[in-house]
Amino acid sequence: MQDRRSFIKKATIGGGLLLAGGFPFESFAGERIQKLTILHTNDVHSRLEPFPMDGGKYEGQGGAAARAALISQIRKEEEHVLLLDAGDIFQGTPYFNMYKGEPEIKAMSMMRYDACTMGNHDFDAGVEGFAKQLPNANFQVLIANYDFTGTALEGQTQPYTIIEKGKLRIGIFGLGIELQGLVSPNAFGLTKYLDPIPVANATAELLKRRKNCDMVICLSHLGYEYQNNKVSDVILGKESTNIDLILGGHTHTFLDHPTVVRDKNGAEVTINQVGWAGVRMGRLDYFFSSKNGSELSNSQSVIINKETSAK
Amino acid sequence: MRIVICTYISCLLLLAACSNQYHITGHSDKQYAVSNTGDSNMLKFLQPYKQSMDSQFSVILGRCDTILYKSQPECTLGNFMVDAMTEALRKKDATIEAGVFNYGGIRLPYIGTGDITLGKIFELMPFDNLVCIIDIPGDTMLKFCNHIAAYGGWPVNGIQFTIKDKQAQQIVINGKPLDTHKTYHIAVNDYIAGGGDNCSFFINLHKQTENILIRDILIAYIKTLSKQNRPLHPYIEKRIQNAG
Repeated sequence: MQDRRSFIKKATIGGGLLLAGGFPFESFAGERIQKLTILHTNDVHSRLEPFPMDGGKYEGQGGAAARAALISQIRKEEEHVLLLDAGDIFQGTPYFNMYKGEPEIKAMSMMRYDACTMGNHDFDAGVEGFAKQLPNANFQVLIANYDFTGTALEGQTQPYTIIEKGKLRIGIFGLGIELQGLVSPNAFGLTKYLDPIPVANATAELLKRRKNCDMVICLSHLGYEYQNNKVSDVILGKESTNIDLILGGHTHTFLDHPTVVRDKNGAEVTINQVGWAGVRMGRLDYFFSSKNGSELSNSQSVIINKETSAK
Repeated sequence: MRIVICTYISCLLLLAACSNQYHITGHSDKQYAVSNTGDSNMLKFLQPYKQSMDSQFSVILGRCDTILYKSQPECTLGNFMVDAMTEALRKKDATIEAGVFNYGGIRLPYIGTGDITLGKIFELMPFDNLVCIIDIPGDTMLKFCNHIAAYGGWPVNGIQFTIKDKQAQQIVINGKPLDTHKTYHIAVNDYIAGGGDNCSFFINLHKQTENILIRDILIAYIKTLSKQNRPLHPYIEKRIQNAG
Protein backbone atom coordinates (compact mmCIF):
# COMPACT_ATOMS: atom_id res chain seq x y z
CA MET A 1 0.00 0.00 0.00
CA GLN A 2 1.03 3.50 -0.74
CA ASP A 3 1.04 5.95 2.13
CA ARG A 4 -0.24 9.47 1.76
CA ARG A 5 3.17 11.09 1.68
CA SER A 6 4.42 9.03 -1.17
CA PHE A 7 1.18 9.65 -3.01
CA ILE A 8 1.52 13.41 -2.64
CA LYS A 9 5.12 13.22 -3.74
CA LYS A 10 4.30 11.18 -6.78
CA ALA A 11 1.30 13.28 -7.64
CA THR A 12 3.44 16.41 -7.44
CA ILE A 13 6.13 14.96 -9.64
CA GLY A 14 3.55 13.44 -11.91
CA GLY A 15 2.16 16.77 -12.99
CA GLY A 16 1.19 19.25 -10.38
CA LEU A 17 -1.98 17.71 -9.02
CA LEU A 18 -1.74 20.07 -6.06
CA LEU A 19 -1.66 23.07 -8.34
CA ALA A 20 -4.93 22.20 -9.97
CA GLY A 21 -7.42 24.91 -9.28
CA GLY A 22 -10.67 23.70 -7.88
CA PHE A 23 -9.49 20.19 -7.23
CA PRO A 24 -10.85 19.30 -3.82
CA PHE A 25 -7.58 17.97 -2.54
CA GLU A 26 -8.34 18.81 1.06
CA SER A 27 -11.04 16.19 0.92
CA PHE A 28 -8.27 13.61 0.38
CA ALA A 29 -6.51 14.69 3.52
CA GLY A 30 -8.14 12.42 6.03
CA GLU A 31 -8.68 9.57 3.61
CA ARG A 32 -6.80 6.57 2.46
CA ILE A 33 -5.81 7.13 -1.12
CA GLN A 34 -5.07 4.38 -3.59
CA LYS A 35 -3.66 4.85 -7.06
CA LEU A 36 -3.93 2.33 -9.87
CA THR A 37 -2.02 2.60 -13.14
CA ILE A 38 -3.68 0.82 -16.07
CA LEU A 39 -1.61 0.16 -19.19
CA HIS A 40 -3.28 -1.18 -22.29
CA THR A 41 -2.77 -2.30 -25.88
CA ASN A 42 -5.05 -3.62 -28.62
CA ASP A 43 -4.73 -5.14 -32.10
CA VAL A 44 -1.00 -5.69 -31.81
CA HIS A 45 -1.35 -8.18 -34.71
CA SER A 46 1.89 -10.12 -34.29
CA ARG A 47 4.00 -6.93 -34.52
CA LEU A 48 6.90 -8.25 -32.50
CA GLU A 49 9.31 -5.97 -34.33
CA PRO A 50 9.05 -2.23 -34.92
CA PHE A 51 7.92 -1.02 -38.35
CA PRO A 52 10.93 -0.81 -40.70
CA MET A 53 12.62 2.49 -41.51
CA ASP A 54 11.05 2.80 -44.96
CA GLY A 55 9.77 6.35 -44.82
CA GLY A 56 6.30 5.19 -43.83
CA LYS A 57 3.98 6.65 -41.24
CA TYR A 58 4.94 4.24 -38.46
CA GLU A 59 8.63 3.73 -39.22
CA GLY A 60 10.63 2.76 -36.14
CA GLN A 61 7.49 2.51 -34.01
CA GLY A 62 6.15 -0.44 -32.06
CA GLY A 63 7.81 -3.74 -31.24
CA ALA A 64 7.70 -5.99 -28.18
CA ALA A 65 11.17 -4.95 -26.94
CA ALA A 66 10.37 -1.21 -26.86
CA ARG A 67 7.04 -1.92 -25.18
CA ALA A 68 8.69 -4.20 -22.60
CA ALA A 69 11.23 -1.48 -21.75
CA LEU A 70 8.47 1.11 -21.34
CA ILE A 71 6.43 -1.21 -19.14
CA SER A 72 9.33 -2.09 -16.86
CA GLN A 73 10.17 1.59 -16.47
CA ILE A 74 6.56 2.31 -15.41
CA ARG A 75 6.58 -0.67 -13.04
CA LYS A 76 9.62 0.89 -11.35
CA GLU A 77 7.74 4.16 -10.87
CA GLU A 78 4.31 2.84 -9.92
CA GLU A 79 3.32 0.35 -7.26
CA HIS A 80 0.01 -0.87 -8.63
CA VAL A 81 0.05 -1.58 -12.35
CA LEU A 82 -2.49 -3.47 -14.43
CA LEU A 83 -1.45 -4.49 -17.95
CA LEU A 84 -4.28 -5.41 -20.31
CA ASP A 85 -4.87 -6.22 -23.98
CA ALA A 86 -8.13 -5.96 -25.91
CA GLY A 87 -7.56 -8.71 -28.49
CA ASP A 88 -6.22 -9.42 -31.99
CA ILE A 89 -2.89 -10.49 -30.62
CA PHE A 90 -2.50 -12.80 -33.61
CA GLN A 91 -2.00 -12.35 -37.36
CA GLY A 92 -0.30 -9.69 -39.41
CA THR A 93 3.38 -10.53 -39.74
CA PRO A 94 5.19 -13.68 -40.90
CA TYR A 95 5.88 -14.43 -37.23
CA PHE A 96 2.31 -15.65 -36.99
CA ASN A 97 2.47 -17.69 -40.21
CA MET A 98 5.64 -19.33 -38.96
CA TYR A 99 5.15 -19.78 -35.23
CA LYS A 100 1.32 -19.63 -34.89
CA GLY A 101 1.31 -17.16 -32.01
CA GLU A 102 3.89 -18.71 -29.72
CA PRO A 103 6.32 -15.74 -29.51
CA GLU A 104 3.41 -13.25 -29.23
CA ILE A 105 1.96 -15.02 -26.18
CA LYS A 106 5.37 -15.72 -24.63
CA ALA A 107 6.34 -12.05 -25.03
CA MET A 108 3.13 -10.97 -23.31
CA SER A 109 3.87 -13.36 -20.45
CA MET A 110 7.34 -11.86 -20.15
CA MET A 111 5.84 -8.36 -19.98
CA ARG A 112 3.52 -9.70 -17.24
CA TYR A 113 0.20 -8.96 -18.83
CA ASP A 114 -2.63 -9.51 -16.33
CA ALA A 115 -5.38 -10.31 -18.82
CA CYS A 116 -6.56 -10.08 -22.41
CA THR A 117 -9.74 -10.67 -24.33
CA MET A 118 -10.06 -12.40 -27.71
CA GLY A 119 -10.30 -10.64 -31.05
CA ASN A 120 -11.66 -12.13 -34.27
CA HIS A 121 -8.12 -12.73 -35.59
CA ASP A 122 -7.28 -14.74 -32.50
CA PHE A 123 -9.41 -17.40 -34.23
CA ASP A 124 -7.20 -17.38 -37.34
CA ALA A 125 -5.51 -20.63 -36.38
CA GLY A 126 -8.90 -21.97 -35.30
CA VAL A 127 -10.17 -22.34 -31.75
CA GLU A 128 -7.62 -25.16 -31.45
CA GLY A 129 -4.78 -22.90 -32.56
CA PHE A 130 -5.50 -20.38 -29.81
CA ALA A 131 -5.98 -23.12 -27.22
CA LYS A 132 -2.62 -24.60 -28.22
CA GLN A 133 -0.81 -21.38 -27.25
CA LEU A 134 -2.52 -21.01 -23.87
CA PRO A 135 0.08 -23.04 -21.93
CA ASN A 136 2.47 -20.17 -22.83
CA ALA A 137 0.19 -17.58 -21.25
CA ASN A 138 0.84 -16.44 -17.67
CA PHE A 139 -2.21 -14.22 -17.94
CA GLN A 140 -5.94 -14.84 -18.13
CA VAL A 141 -8.08 -14.83 -21.24
CA LEU A 142 -11.37 -13.12 -20.39
CA ILE A 143 -14.40 -13.48 -22.60
CA ALA A 144 -17.93 -13.32 -21.22
CA ASN A 145 -20.01 -13.51 -24.40
CA TYR A 146 -18.50 -16.48 -26.23
CA ASP A 147 -19.72 -19.91 -25.23
CA PHE A 148 -16.92 -22.37 -25.99
CA THR A 149 -18.82 -25.49 -24.93
CA GLY A 150 -17.73 -28.41 -27.07
CA THR A 151 -14.65 -26.63 -28.42
CA ALA A 152 -10.95 -26.82 -27.57
CA LEU A 153 -11.34 -23.65 -25.50
CA GLU A 154 -14.03 -25.05 -23.22
CA GLY A 155 -12.94 -24.29 -19.65
CA GLN A 156 -9.80 -22.50 -20.88
CA THR A 157 -11.13 -18.95 -20.62
CA GLN A 158 -12.97 -17.04 -17.90
CA PRO A 159 -15.81 -14.55 -18.28
CA TYR A 160 -14.24 -12.26 -15.70
CA THR A 161 -11.55 -12.02 -13.07
CA ILE A 162 -11.00 -10.00 -9.91
CA ILE A 163 -7.50 -8.67 -9.38
CA GLU A 164 -6.49 -7.19 -6.05
CA LYS A 165 -3.98 -4.36 -6.21
CA GLY A 166 -3.09 -2.86 -2.84
CA LYS A 167 -6.42 -2.38 -1.11
CA LEU A 168 -8.33 -2.28 -4.37
CA ARG A 169 -10.51 -4.94 -5.91
CA ILE A 170 -10.64 -4.54 -9.67
CA GLY A 171 -13.19 -6.53 -11.67
CA ILE A 172 -12.26 -7.15 -15.30
CA PHE A 173 -14.31 -8.92 -17.96
CA GLY A 174 -14.03 -9.42 -21.71
CA LEU A 175 -16.38 -9.01 -24.69
CA GLY A 176 -15.90 -10.28 -28.23
CA ILE A 177 -17.37 -9.29 -31.58
CA GLU A 178 -20.02 -11.22 -33.59
CA LEU A 179 -18.06 -13.94 -35.38
CA GLN A 180 -20.59 -14.88 -38.07
CA GLY A 181 -19.80 -12.96 -41.25
CA LEU A 182 -16.37 -11.96 -39.94
CA VAL A 183 -14.58 -15.19 -39.12
CA SER A 184 -14.69 -18.38 -41.17
CA PRO A 185 -17.12 -20.86 -39.56
CA ASN A 186 -14.36 -23.48 -39.87
CA ALA A 187 -12.23 -21.35 -37.56
CA PHE A 188 -14.75 -20.61 -34.80
CA GLY A 189 -16.47 -23.99 -35.00
CA LEU A 190 -19.04 -24.51 -32.25
CA THR A 191 -18.28 -21.19 -30.51
CA LYS A 192 -21.53 -19.40 -29.70
CA TYR A 193 -21.69 -15.60 -29.69
CA LEU A 194 -23.99 -14.06 -27.08
CA ASP A 195 -25.47 -10.55 -27.23
CA PRO A 196 -22.77 -8.49 -25.49
CA ILE A 197 -24.92 -5.83 -23.80
CA PRO A 198 -27.01 -8.03 -21.49
CA VAL A 199 -23.94 -10.17 -20.77
CA ALA A 200 -21.92 -7.02 -19.96
CA ASN A 201 -24.57 -5.63 -17.65
CA ALA A 202 -25.04 -8.89 -15.78
CA THR A 203 -21.28 -9.37 -15.40
CA ALA A 204 -20.61 -5.77 -14.37
CA GLU A 205 -23.41 -5.89 -11.82
CA LEU A 206 -22.07 -9.13 -10.39
CA LEU A 207 -18.59 -7.64 -10.10
CA LYS A 208 -19.56 -4.28 -8.66
CA ARG A 209 -22.56 -5.12 -6.49
CA ARG A 210 -22.04 -8.68 -5.37
CA LYS A 211 -18.30 -9.18 -5.59
CA ASN A 212 -17.68 -5.67 -4.17
CA CYS A 213 -15.24 -4.54 -6.81
CA ASP A 214 -14.10 -0.94 -6.51
CA MET A 215 -13.80 -0.59 -10.27
CA VAL A 216 -15.08 -2.55 -13.27
CA ILE A 217 -13.09 -2.68 -16.51
CA CYS A 218 -14.40 -4.13 -19.75
CA LEU A 219 -11.88 -5.42 -22.29
CA SER A 220 -13.79 -5.17 -25.54
CA HIS A 221 -13.14 -6.24 -29.10
CA LEU A 222 -16.50 -4.87 -30.29
CA GLY A 223 -14.97 -1.86 -32.06
CA TYR A 224 -15.07 1.81 -31.08
CA GLU A 225 -18.01 3.11 -33.13
CA TYR A 226 -19.81 2.36 -36.41
CA GLN A 227 -21.82 4.45 -38.86
CA ASN A 228 -24.78 2.14 -38.39
CA ASN A 229 -26.24 0.88 -35.11
CA LYS A 230 -23.91 -2.13 -34.84
CA VAL A 231 -22.96 -2.67 -31.21
CA SER A 232 -19.76 -0.82 -30.35
CA ASP A 233 -17.90 0.49 -27.31
CA VAL A 234 -19.77 3.80 -27.50
CA ILE A 235 -23.15 2.02 -27.63
CA LEU A 236 -22.11 -0.38 -24.88
CA GLY A 237 -21.01 2.54 -22.69
CA LYS A 238 -24.37 4.27 -23.05
CA GLU A 239 -26.40 1.09 -22.60
CA SER A 240 -24.48 -0.17 -19.60
CA THR A 241 -24.46 0.24 -15.85
CA ASN A 242 -21.63 -0.49 -13.41
CA ILE A 243 -18.81 -0.25 -15.99
CA ASP A 244 -16.15 2.38 -15.27
CA LEU A 245 -13.75 1.82 -18.13
CA ILE A 246 -13.94 0.18 -21.56
CA LEU A 247 -10.59 -0.64 -23.17
CA GLY A 248 -11.41 -1.40 -26.77
CA GLY A 249 -10.02 -2.72 -30.03
CA HIS A 250 -10.95 -4.03 -33.48
CA THR A 251 -11.51 -0.72 -35.32
CA HIS A 252 -7.81 0.25 -34.96
CA THR A 253 -8.99 3.64 -33.69
CA PHE A 254 -6.32 6.11 -32.59
CA LEU A 255 -7.95 8.20 -29.88
CA ASP A 256 -5.93 11.23 -28.72
CA HIS A 257 -7.77 11.06 -25.41
CA PRO A 258 -10.23 8.64 -23.92
CA THR A 259 -13.88 9.37 -24.70
CA VAL A 260 -16.29 9.82 -21.81
CA VAL A 261 -19.95 8.86 -22.21
CA ARG A 262 -22.76 8.66 -19.67
CA ASP A 263 -24.18 5.25 -18.85
CA LYS A 264 -27.87 4.46 -18.25
CA ASN A 265 -27.63 5.90 -14.74
CA GLY A 266 -25.79 9.03 -15.85
CA ALA A 267 -22.46 7.83 -14.47
CA GLU A 268 -19.28 8.36 -16.45
CA VAL A 269 -17.88 5.54 -18.58
CA THR A 270 -14.43 6.13 -20.00
CA ILE A 271 -13.60 4.49 -23.36
CA ASN A 272 -10.12 4.19 -24.80
CA GLN A 273 -8.38 2.53 -27.75
CA VAL A 274 -4.80 2.94 -28.96
CA GLY A 275 -4.76 2.27 -32.71
CA TRP A 276 -3.05 -0.95 -33.69
CA ALA A 277 0.27 -2.78 -34.19
CA GLY A 278 1.61 -1.74 -30.79
CA VAL A 279 2.73 1.67 -32.04
CA ARG A 280 1.00 3.21 -29.03
CA MET A 281 0.41 2.15 -25.46
CA GLY A 282 -2.35 3.70 -23.40
CA ARG A 283 -2.09 4.63 -19.75
CA LEU A 284 -4.80 5.63 -17.31
CA ASP A 285 -4.08 6.48 -13.69
CA TYR A 286 -7.07 6.11 -11.39
CA PHE A 287 -7.24 7.63 -7.93
CA PHE A 288 -9.43 6.04 -5.27
CA SER A 289 -10.56 7.12 -1.86
CA SER A 290 -11.84 4.95 0.97
CA LYS A 291 -14.25 7.58 2.25
CA ASN A 292 -17.65 8.19 0.76
CA GLY A 293 -17.22 10.97 -1.77
CA SER A 294 -20.48 12.77 -1.14
CA GLU A 295 -18.66 16.05 -0.48
CA LEU A 296 -17.71 16.13 -4.14
CA SER A 297 -20.94 17.89 -4.92
CA ASN A 298 -20.24 18.58 -8.58
CA SER A 299 -18.76 16.56 -11.36
CA GLN A 300 -15.86 18.49 -12.75
CA SER A 301 -12.98 18.04 -15.12
CA VAL A 302 -9.68 19.72 -14.45
CA ILE A 303 -6.77 19.62 -16.85
CA ILE A 304 -3.71 19.22 -14.68
CA ASN A 305 -1.04 18.54 -17.22
CA LYS A 306 -0.60 19.05 -20.91
CA GLU A 307 2.85 18.44 -22.21
CA THR A 308 4.39 17.27 -25.44
CA SER A 309 8.01 16.36 -25.69
CA ALA A 310 9.72 15.18 -28.84
CA LYS A 311 12.43 12.51 -28.83
CA MET B 1 12.04 8.39 -26.82
CA ARG B 2 9.11 10.36 -28.06
CA ILE B 3 6.30 10.63 -25.61
CA VAL B 4 3.00 12.27 -26.22
CA ILE B 5 1.66 13.16 -22.84
CA CYS B 6 -1.70 14.63 -22.33
CA THR B 7 -3.14 14.37 -18.90
CA TYR B 8 -6.32 15.47 -17.36
CA ILE B 9 -8.09 14.68 -14.18
CA SER B 10 -11.75 14.21 -14.12
CA CYS B 11 -13.36 14.26 -10.75
CA LEU B 12 -16.32 12.02 -10.84
CA LEU B 13 -19.57 12.26 -9.06
CA LEU B 14 -19.49 8.63 -8.24
CA LEU B 15 -20.99 7.61 -4.99
CA ALA B 16 -19.70 4.22 -4.15
CA ALA B 17 -22.14 1.59 -3.05
CA CYS B 18 -21.96 1.15 0.71
CA SER B 19 -20.35 -2.26 0.41
CA ASN B 20 -17.47 -1.07 -1.75
CA GLN B 21 -14.36 -0.08 0.12
CA TYR B 22 -12.98 2.43 -2.35
CA HIS B 23 -14.47 4.67 -4.95
CA ILE B 24 -12.91 6.48 -7.91
CA THR B 25 -12.19 10.11 -7.22
CA GLY B 26 -10.42 10.99 -10.45
CA HIS B 27 -8.33 9.74 -13.30
CA SER B 28 -5.70 10.97 -15.71
CA ASP B 29 -4.58 9.65 -19.07
CA LYS B 30 -1.39 9.52 -21.02
CA GLN B 31 -0.29 7.92 -24.26
CA TYR B 32 3.09 6.56 -25.21
CA ALA B 33 4.42 6.44 -28.74
CA VAL B 34 6.32 3.16 -28.52
CA SER B 35 9.65 4.02 -30.17
CA ASN B 36 12.15 3.87 -27.32
CA THR B 37 15.21 1.63 -27.00
CA GLY B 38 14.22 -2.00 -26.66
CA ASP B 39 14.46 -4.16 -23.57
CA SER B 40 17.53 -6.38 -23.90
CA ASN B 41 15.85 -9.48 -22.45
CA MET B 42 13.03 -9.21 -24.93
CA LEU B 43 15.46 -8.69 -27.81
CA LYS B 44 17.36 -11.77 -26.67
CA PHE B 45 14.14 -13.77 -26.51
CA LEU B 46 13.08 -12.68 -30.01
CA GLN B 47 16.49 -13.18 -31.62
CA PRO B 48 16.21 -16.90 -32.52
CA TYR B 49 12.69 -16.43 -33.91
CA LYS B 50 13.82 -13.39 -35.89
CA GLN B 51 16.89 -15.13 -37.24
CA SER B 52 15.09 -18.10 -38.70
CA MET B 53 12.28 -15.88 -39.92
CA ASP B 54 14.59 -13.41 -41.61
CA SER B 55 16.44 -16.20 -43.40
CA GLN B 56 13.15 -17.28 -44.92
CA PHE B 57 11.24 -14.05 -45.43
CA SER B 58 13.86 -11.47 -46.42
CA VAL B 59 14.02 -12.88 -49.96
CA ILE B 60 13.48 -10.08 -52.48
CA LEU B 61 10.72 -10.85 -54.99
CA GLY B 62 10.86 -7.68 -57.06
CA ARG B 63 10.43 -3.97 -56.60
CA CYS B 64 7.95 -1.14 -56.85
CA ASP B 65 8.87 2.30 -58.16
CA THR B 66 6.11 4.13 -56.30
CA ILE B 67 4.57 3.93 -52.85
CA LEU B 68 1.58 1.62 -52.89
CA TYR B 69 -1.12 2.64 -50.44
CA LYS B 70 -4.46 1.56 -49.05
CA SER B 71 -7.42 3.90 -49.32
CA GLN B 72 -11.01 4.12 -50.53
CA PRO B 73 -12.83 4.10 -52.86
CA GLU B 74 -9.86 2.85 -54.94
CA CYS B 75 -6.15 2.38 -54.17
CA THR B 76 -2.95 1.12 -55.72
CA LEU B 77 -2.42 -1.61 -53.13
CA GLY B 78 -5.94 -2.92 -53.75
CA ASN B 79 -5.62 -2.75 -57.55
CA PHE B 80 -2.40 -4.76 -57.40
CA MET B 81 -4.10 -7.46 -55.33
CA VAL B 82 -7.35 -7.69 -57.31
CA ASP B 83 -5.55 -7.51 -60.68
CA ALA B 84 -3.13 -10.29 -59.74
CA MET B 85 -5.98 -12.48 -58.51
CA THR B 86 -8.31 -11.85 -61.46
CA GLU B 87 -5.63 -12.21 -64.14
CA ALA B 88 -4.37 -15.47 -62.64
CA LEU B 89 -7.89 -16.93 -62.68
CA ARG B 90 -8.67 -15.67 -66.21
CA LYS B 91 -5.77 -17.79 -67.45
CA LYS B 92 -7.64 -20.83 -66.14
CA ASP B 93 -11.13 -19.70 -67.04
CA ALA B 94 -11.53 -17.09 -69.77
CA THR B 95 -15.25 -16.63 -68.96
CA ILE B 96 -14.45 -14.70 -65.76
CA GLU B 97 -15.89 -11.23 -66.18
CA ALA B 98 -14.58 -9.48 -63.11
CA GLY B 99 -12.80 -9.83 -59.80
CA VAL B 100 -13.39 -8.33 -56.35
CA PHE B 101 -11.24 -8.23 -53.24
CA ASN B 102 -12.55 -7.07 -49.87
CA TYR B 103 -10.98 -3.84 -48.61
CA GLY B 104 -10.49 -5.27 -45.10
CA GLY B 105 -8.37 -8.00 -46.67
CA ILE B 106 -5.62 -5.46 -47.46
CA ARG B 107 -3.55 -5.86 -44.31
CA LEU B 108 -0.90 -3.16 -44.75
CA PRO B 109 -1.48 0.59 -44.91
CA TYR B 110 1.27 0.98 -47.52
CA ILE B 111 4.28 -0.63 -49.20
CA GLY B 112 7.21 1.76 -49.58
CA THR B 113 9.13 2.33 -52.83
CA GLY B 114 11.96 -0.14 -53.41
CA ASP B 115 12.48 -3.85 -52.96
CA ILE B 116 9.51 -6.02 -52.02
CA THR B 117 10.39 -8.92 -49.77
CA LEU B 118 8.48 -12.15 -49.28
CA GLY B 119 7.86 -11.01 -45.69
CA LYS B 120 6.16 -7.86 -46.95
CA ILE B 121 3.71 -9.92 -49.01
CA PHE B 122 2.99 -12.06 -45.94
CA GLU B 123 2.17 -8.85 -44.06
CA LEU B 124 -0.03 -7.62 -46.92
CA MET B 125 -1.81 -10.97 -47.22
CA PRO B 126 -1.20 -12.97 -44.03
CA PHE B 127 -4.30 -15.13 -44.46
CA ASP B 128 -4.22 -18.51 -46.15
CA ASN B 129 -7.21 -17.65 -48.34
CA LEU B 130 -7.85 -19.43 -51.62
CA VAL B 131 -9.32 -18.10 -54.83
CA CYS B 132 -12.87 -18.81 -55.76
CA ILE B 133 -15.11 -18.36 -58.82
CA ILE B 134 -18.77 -17.68 -58.06
CA ASP B 135 -21.74 -17.70 -60.41
CA ILE B 136 -23.60 -14.57 -59.37
CA PRO B 137 -27.14 -13.90 -60.70
CA GLY B 138 -27.58 -10.30 -61.92
CA ASP B 139 -29.87 -9.23 -59.07
CA THR B 140 -27.33 -10.53 -56.52
CA MET B 141 -24.60 -8.79 -58.51
CA LEU B 142 -26.48 -5.51 -58.02
CA LYS B 143 -26.79 -6.28 -54.31
CA PHE B 144 -23.04 -7.02 -54.18
CA CYS B 145 -22.16 -3.72 -55.89
CA ASN B 146 -24.36 -1.84 -53.41
CA HIS B 147 -22.67 -3.74 -50.59
CA ILE B 148 -19.25 -2.62 -51.90
CA ALA B 149 -20.56 0.95 -52.18
CA ALA B 150 -21.94 0.89 -48.62
CA TYR B 151 -18.49 -0.21 -47.40
CA GLY B 152 -16.94 2.79 -49.20
CA GLY B 153 -15.43 0.93 -52.17
CA TRP B 154 -13.46 -2.31 -52.54
CA PRO B 155 -10.72 -3.24 -55.03
CA VAL B 156 -12.35 -4.38 -58.29
CA ASN B 157 -11.16 -5.54 -61.71
CA GLY B 158 -13.58 -5.39 -64.65
CA ILE B 159 -16.17 -3.42 -62.67
CA GLN B 160 -16.86 0.31 -62.73
CA PHE B 161 -19.37 2.36 -60.80
CA THR B 162 -19.99 5.61 -58.96
CA ILE B 163 -20.91 5.70 -55.28
CA LYS B 164 -23.77 8.04 -54.47
CA ASP B 165 -25.58 7.98 -51.12
CA LYS B 166 -23.82 4.67 -50.30
CA GLN B 167 -25.36 3.09 -53.45
CA ALA B 168 -23.65 1.90 -56.63
CA GLN B 169 -24.72 3.83 -59.73
CA GLN B 170 -23.96 3.41 -63.46
CA ILE B 171 -22.59 -0.06 -62.88
CA VAL B 172 -20.53 -1.40 -65.76
CA ILE B 173 -19.28 -5.00 -65.75
CA ASN B 174 -16.75 -6.20 -68.27
CA GLY B 175 -17.50 -3.16 -70.44
CA LYS B 176 -21.30 -3.48 -70.40
CA PRO B 177 -24.00 -2.05 -68.13
CA LEU B 178 -25.10 -4.45 -65.39
CA ASP B 179 -27.79 -6.83 -66.67
CA THR B 180 -29.91 -8.18 -63.79
CA HIS B 181 -31.06 -11.14 -65.97
CA LYS B 182 -27.56 -12.39 -66.64
CA THR B 183 -25.38 -14.64 -64.45
CA TYR B 184 -21.84 -13.40 -63.90
CA HIS B 185 -18.63 -15.36 -63.30
CA ILE B 186 -16.72 -13.42 -60.69
CA ALA B 187 -13.34 -14.09 -59.07
CA VAL B 188 -13.23 -13.47 -55.32
CA ASN B 189 -11.39 -14.83 -52.32
CA ASP B 190 -12.92 -17.73 -50.41
CA TYR B 191 -13.42 -15.46 -47.37
CA ILE B 192 -16.14 -13.35 -48.98
CA ALA B 193 -17.38 -16.34 -51.01
CA GLY B 194 -18.10 -18.01 -47.67
CA GLY B 195 -20.08 -15.01 -46.43
CA GLY B 196 -17.23 -13.01 -44.86
CA ASP B 197 -17.51 -9.21 -44.54
CA ASN B 198 -21.26 -9.77 -44.41
CA CYS B 199 -21.48 -11.19 -47.93
CA SER B 200 -24.12 -13.68 -46.76
CA PHE B 201 -25.79 -13.47 -50.21
CA PHE B 202 -22.94 -15.67 -51.55
CA ILE B 203 -23.36 -18.55 -49.12
CA ASN B 204 -25.83 -20.56 -51.19
CA LEU B 205 -24.50 -19.69 -54.65
CA HIS B 206 -22.67 -22.14 -56.88
CA LYS B 207 -18.94 -21.67 -56.51
CA GLN B 208 -15.71 -23.34 -57.35
CA THR B 209 -12.76 -22.92 -55.02
CA GLU B 210 -9.32 -23.37 -56.57
CA ASN B 211 -6.58 -24.76 -54.39
CA ILE B 212 -4.35 -21.73 -54.94
CA LEU B 213 -3.36 -19.37 -52.14
CA ILE B 214 -3.98 -15.73 -52.98
CA ARG B 215 -0.63 -14.92 -51.41
CA ASP B 216 1.10 -17.27 -53.87
CA ILE B 217 -0.62 -15.45 -56.74
CA LEU B 218 0.68 -12.10 -55.46
CA ILE B 219 4.18 -13.53 -55.13
CA ALA B 220 4.09 -14.97 -58.66
CA TYR B 221 2.78 -11.67 -60.07
CA ILE B 222 5.70 -9.66 -58.66
CA LYS B 223 8.23 -12.32 -59.67
CA THR B 224 6.92 -12.32 -63.26
CA LEU B 225 7.26 -8.53 -63.47
CA SER B 226 10.73 -8.80 -62.03
CA LYS B 227 11.78 -11.35 -64.65
CA GLN B 228 10.64 -8.88 -67.31
CA ASN B 229 12.70 -6.25 -65.53
CA ARG B 230 9.56 -4.28 -64.72
CA PRO B 231 8.66 -2.71 -61.39
CA LEU B 232 5.24 -3.13 -59.80
CA HIS B 233 3.32 0.03 -60.62
CA PRO B 234 -0.47 -0.16 -60.32
CA TYR B 235 -2.56 2.85 -61.36
CA ILE B 236 -5.72 4.49 -60.12
CA GLU B 237 -8.16 4.12 -62.99
CA LYS B 238 -11.45 5.50 -61.64
CA ARG B 239 -12.85 2.01 -61.36
CA ILE B 240 -14.90 3.11 -58.38
CA GLN B 241 -15.37 6.77 -57.65
CA ASN B 242 -17.44 8.87 -55.33
CA ALA B 243 -20.08 11.07 -56.94
CA GLY B 244 -18.82 14.65 -57.15
